[in-house]
Amino acid sequence: MSDIRKWFMKAHEKGNGNAPKPPTSSTADAKETSSVKSEQASEDLETAATRKKTSKYFAKEKAKAKEEKGVEELPAKRKLKTDSDDVGKPRPRKAVKVDDDDDDDFEVPSVRKTRDNSTPSKKLKSGSGRGIASKTVDNDEDDDGEDAQEKDTPVKSGGRGRGGRAASGASTGGRGGGGRGRGGFMNFGERKDPPHKGEKEVPEGSPDCLAGLTFVISGTLDSLEREEAEDLIKRHGGRVTGSVSKKTTYLLCDEDIGGKKSEKAKELGTKFLTEDGLFDLIRSSKPSKKSLPESTNKTTEKVSAKPKISPQKEGARGKALAKSSPKKVPTPSSPAKGKKKTIETSLPWTEKYRPKAPNEIVGNQSMVTDLHKWLSHWHDQFGGTGSKGKGKKSSDTNAKKAVLLSGTPGIGKTTSAKLVSKMLGFQAVEVNASDSRGKANSNIAKGIGGSNANAVKELVNNEAIASNIDRSKHPKTVLIMDEVDGMSAGDRGGVADLIASIKISKIPIICICNDRYSQKLKSLVNYCLPLNYRKPTKQQMAKRLTYIAKAEGLEVNDIALEELAERVNGDIRSAVNQLQYMSLSMSVIKYDDIRQRLLSSAKDEDISPFTAVDKLFGYNGGKLRMDERIDLSMSDFDLVPLLIQENYANYRPSSAGNDEAKRMELLARAAESIADGDIINVQIRRHRQWQLSLSSCVASCILPASLMHGSRVPLEQGEKNYNRFGGWLGKNSTAGKNRRLLEDLHVHVLASRESSSGRETLRVDYLPLLLNRLTSPLQTLPKDEAVSEVVEFMNSYSISQEDYDTIMELAKFKGRANPLEGVPPAVKTALTKKYKETSKTRMVRAADMVQLPGVKKAPKKRIAAMLEPNVESLRDEDGEPLAENEEENESDAEDSEEATNGENLESNLKNLNARGIQVEVDLKGAGSSSGTRKTAGKGRGRGKAADAPAEKKATGRGAGAKRKR
Amino acid sequence: MLWVDKYRPKSLDKVIVHEEIAQNLKKLVTEQDCPHLLFYGPSGSGKKTLIMALLKQIYGASAEKVKVENRAWKVDAGSRTIDLELTTLSSTNHVELTPSDAGFQDRYIVQEIIKEMAKNRPIDTKGKKGYKVLVLNEVDKLSREAQHSLRRTMEKYSSSCRLILCCNSSSKVTEAIKSRCLNVRINAPSHEEIVKVLEFVAKKESLQLPHGFAARIAEKSNRSLRRAILSLETCRVQNYPFTDNQVISPMDWEEYVAEISTDMMREQSPKCLFQVRGKVYELLLNCIPPEVILKRLLHELLKKLDSELKLEVCHWAAYYEHRMRLGQKAIFHIEAFVAKFMSIYKNFLITTFG
Repeated sequence: MSDIRKWFMKAHEKGNGNAPKPPTSSTADAKETSSVKSEQASEDLETAATRKKTSKYFAKEKAKAKEEKGVEELPAKRKLKTDSDDVGKPRPRKAVKVDDDDDDDFEVPSVRKTRDNSTPSKKLKSGSGRGIASKTVDNDEDDDGEDAQEKDTPVKSGGRGRGGRAASGASTGGRGGGGRGRGGFMNFGERKDPPHKGEKEVPEGSPDCLAGLTFVISGTLDSLEREEAEDLIKRHGGRVTGSVSKKTTYLLCDEDIGGKKSEKAKELGTKFLTEDGLFDLIRSSKPSKKSLPESTNKTTEKVSAKPKISPQKEGARGKALAKSSPKKVPTPSSPAKGKKKTIETSLPWTEKYRPKAPNEIVGNQSMVTDLHKWLSHWHDQFGGTGSKGKGKKSSDTNAKKAVLLSGTPGIGKTTSAKLVSKMLGFQAVEVNASDSRGKANSNIAKGIGGSNANAVKELVNNEAIASNIDRSKHPKTVLIMDEVDGMSAGDRGGVADLIASIKISKIPIICICNDRYSQKLKSLVNYCLPLNYRKPTKQQMAKRLTYIAKAEGLEVNDIALEELAERVNGDIRSAVNQLQYMSLSMSVIKYDDIRQRLLSSAKDEDISPFTAVDKLFGYNGGKLRMDERIDLSMSDFDLVPLLIQENYANYRPSSAGNDEAKRMELLARAAESIADGDIINVQIRRHRQWQLSLSSCVASCILPASLMHGSRVPLEQGEKNYNRFGGWLGKNSTAGKNRRLLEDLHVHVLASRESSSGRETLRVDYLPLLLNRLTSPLQTLPKDEAVSEVVEFMNSYSISQEDYDTIMELAKFKGRANPLEGVPPAVKTALTKKYKETSKTRMVRAADMVQLPGVKKAPKKRIAAMLEPNVESLRDEDGEPLAENEEENESDAEDSEEATNGENLESNLKNLNARGIQVEVDLKGAGSSSGTRKTAGKGRGRGKAADAPAEKKATGRGAGAKRKR
Repeated sequence: MLWVDKYRPKSLDKVIVHEEIAQNLKKLVTEQDCPHLLFYGPSGSGKKTLIMALLKQIYGASAEKVKVENRAWKVDAGSRTIDLELTTLSSTNHVELTPSDAGFQDRYIVQEIIKEMAKNRPIDTKGKKGYKVLVLNEVDKLSREAQHSLRRTMEKYSSSCRLILCCNSSSKVTEAIKSRCLNVRINAPSHEEIVKVLEFVAKKESLQLPHGFAARIAEKSNRSLRRAILSLETCRVQNYPFTDNQVISPMDWEEYVAEISTDMMREQSPKCLFQVRGKVYELLLNCIPPEVILKRLLHELLKKLDSELKLEVCHWAAYYEHRMRLGQKAIFHIEAFVAKFMSIYKNFLITTFG
């Protein structure tokens, strides 16, 4: 017996019974009251629990009253089908019983319960009674059931009705209790967890019981994850497609969610099937082992089903193929057999079955056509006279002399390039990463005998090789530059040289790369006609694989191959390799084999941090294996811990149940563990102890997650139940910005020489008073007086207007009044005006703020030079401070004159300031030195020099200001 | 100008609060060569004031002529070069800086600047002091490596360079450095001293300061003279003439922390934890140092807590503060403390009240 979930999480084999109970039962009580059906009250406890679940959905449904259309339709159908329910009732149960016999180890009471629930009519009867009834195994009945199944339409719809009833109320909204949001940035739509996840026994049927049926899954199912459901269907030979079409046999959905799919299905008359219905369908096939005729029947059916599908498939396959399909028809049978006879399997299949004609290429037919067109017209465009100038003029769409094929590995770029050239009679010269492709050197005279690059040059240059002689007889050449993005350090100047070659080329060049947007190829792209290869669809690939398998005498079904195609992610080469490998050990390949084989490779897909966190915290978070947890938390070493930290408080740990104190305790432990993680992280980053990364991962992700995993509950009203993005990054950067602003303020205050306090003191102690002094006059005093007082205060501490804003910003707390509240805008503008006015006369303060322009290089000397002259000047000054002061005053006058004369000067200075060259002139009598004035003079000089390009500066300043913000 | 700065004693003679220390310092620099000095004591006790006065004592008025520079260093650290930038406050004879601002690269700053100063040794003319002074703030926040590299350079260049180190807690300064310095402990001024200073300021400003009010300010100031004077001025701005029972409004952030503590006492739930996180973030955004937040938070909690829990809560606060220093993301540790507190308190409530 293989429970499907076994596939997914091997770890929790024991746990069926205890796992997901608590949350559902907790919500159930509340919902029970709203249960409509009174008869249910008489039921025994076991079934009651599950019924509650369903009934709660009814309640929700009513409350929501959302699925008007769908719901209205459903009940009607349901009623019709109740009769058929009764007929069908015993059958599925027995099927279940068969299952039970097979897997004793899974025989947990609760499992039985849930399984009973999954049968349609459990609602109306007590589960225990049915349990007894189901002890007998009746083959005949089973067969009947199967027959009924095969007759399909009525019964199936009946099945659907039943199922619909069982869970039709399960509106998406009603899942709140058990469903946790799958948070995600980019998650398209929200898919909830199945409400009864893992509670139902997944049946095991004969492998091909669903063969020929096509399913579309919509919405959330009752107990299966969508992936599980898909897997189940595929394992039984069914096909799962993404959207509803005419070929769809069933729409598998739990309740009518009224989505697009169900609308379309209704339109097309597709049958609806619930999960239970599906189970029945599968179960019913089970006894086929025992009754031989039945199974043979099946196989025949399967066989007959197959051809039926193929046309469908044909249709479903890409339109691109459509036009080439006629050519294709003959290929599969004849050459394959021929090959098989001639070549023994020594060749790798990838080589053996490399497409021999362009239309054999899987997918991307339009690209192949484009390539074909480009290549066939090349000589008309460029080659005719050999002069590129003319060619360029005449060309319009195909103006490029080279083509760039791009796409993921293994989708046939090289193959198509070769094939197309071969088909058009070109001789392909291939240069790939194994050749050195550096810049051609001076040895070009050596020609082909020289280095490879030179050979390429020669080839490209020399038309003699290509066209001099009679073109019709001699093969034309085409250069295939494979793996151009692999041109690396060894191929110095490779790309540039290639471009040069393209420019002068007399033969077509085909470049091939994986990543077109690679930085290396940026320049190349402009010279090439870009052809972007896409991954072929799984159907396209499956077709080719089927052909190969047939040719090799492998027995593989389509579904299995499609699965293979899906798993390899579009890489047909790898798919063929896998196929060959598997052919060594088995001749019949089933869906399961492929799953098993590629299970590990599928794991390597990218997990978004959100999914990782979801999984870690999820219900089954406790059942993950350690290595899985590590994989999850390592999926993004930086982001996952932050997401965990942000969201851990939101989870109601399933281990704590309803015990709030316990929950708090767990929370504290988790928080401590996260803090541990931070400490370890410091060791890693600061001391480069990367061997600790695993410990960090355990401390910051795995421990908190294992403590807290459970259901997510929103903490605030109206909060969405997704995992939030970690707040730390944003907050940290804002804090950093504020710290820088504060530092600016601090420097200014220091420069005023009034205070020498530290930055933190400034914030913690000074700021409230500063704020007070800066705002309260504005609120209380009359406008002019207030403004002048504030400006005076600002000047005394060298507080600039930016600093003013900083102070306001830092003093703001969420939920508190804005410090500037109540200040009329008129006053604010007056303040700004006044500040600007005074700043004109005050010309800032002192050469205290020297910020060397372009300080990055050798600042020592300059600083030393600045320090030195001061020594002398100061000493002088010490002697006659008075005279100095007078001088000072004079210079003040000068300054202000200058300011009025040259209007621009001051603004220039400001510009300089903004550019980080802060030169400030002292106006304060308190004693500045001649040395300082020297520097000031320098600054002025600079200011004048900057007169001319004033405009430019102004813009620069604007940018600077912006950056500051 | 604010009163704190206006009435800051500019010379060692004018010092009111730590008169004895000031006199000793004066003797130290006038009578003999100045050793390396390590000033430590709580904030607002007058370390910086003493240092500035001391510098003035050594170099005369030129020590007051400082300029602020944003200096950049290019340090060659083996295989790579490191660019560093730091704001320095320098006069001709001294340089003051806060190396801990450079984060974990503070080591290079310490090494570079001392070497640089030693190179530019002033020529000893007219009996001027033959050394420069380097004032390093927040030495307790220096990384271990920086402190280690400091101790070597201290010795090597001691002929041309004196260090004055300044920090809040000497316990975070390595023994090696402490033993190379003359340790000067600056006590927090007592309430009486604060009142004395306040009255001095009031007299200068010709204000009427009721004694009771001054005492209350002193009490509220947590024995920080700076804060006392600042809050005196705040009160002056808010309401004058003073009355004995005038409201002394707490600092904005203190108020906010008090709010957080009320939240924590009121409700212990994940929801509350989440809200507290938001508020702590708010404080951090406003540049309140995390240590200050944690300390204040503990202070507020202790006010309201039952006595039997006090010890335990204090223990955990100390525990998480220590870890906060080890770590990098302060919020994680504060949150851990909050969660721990909530867990303890919740258990306590359940056991006592059922």
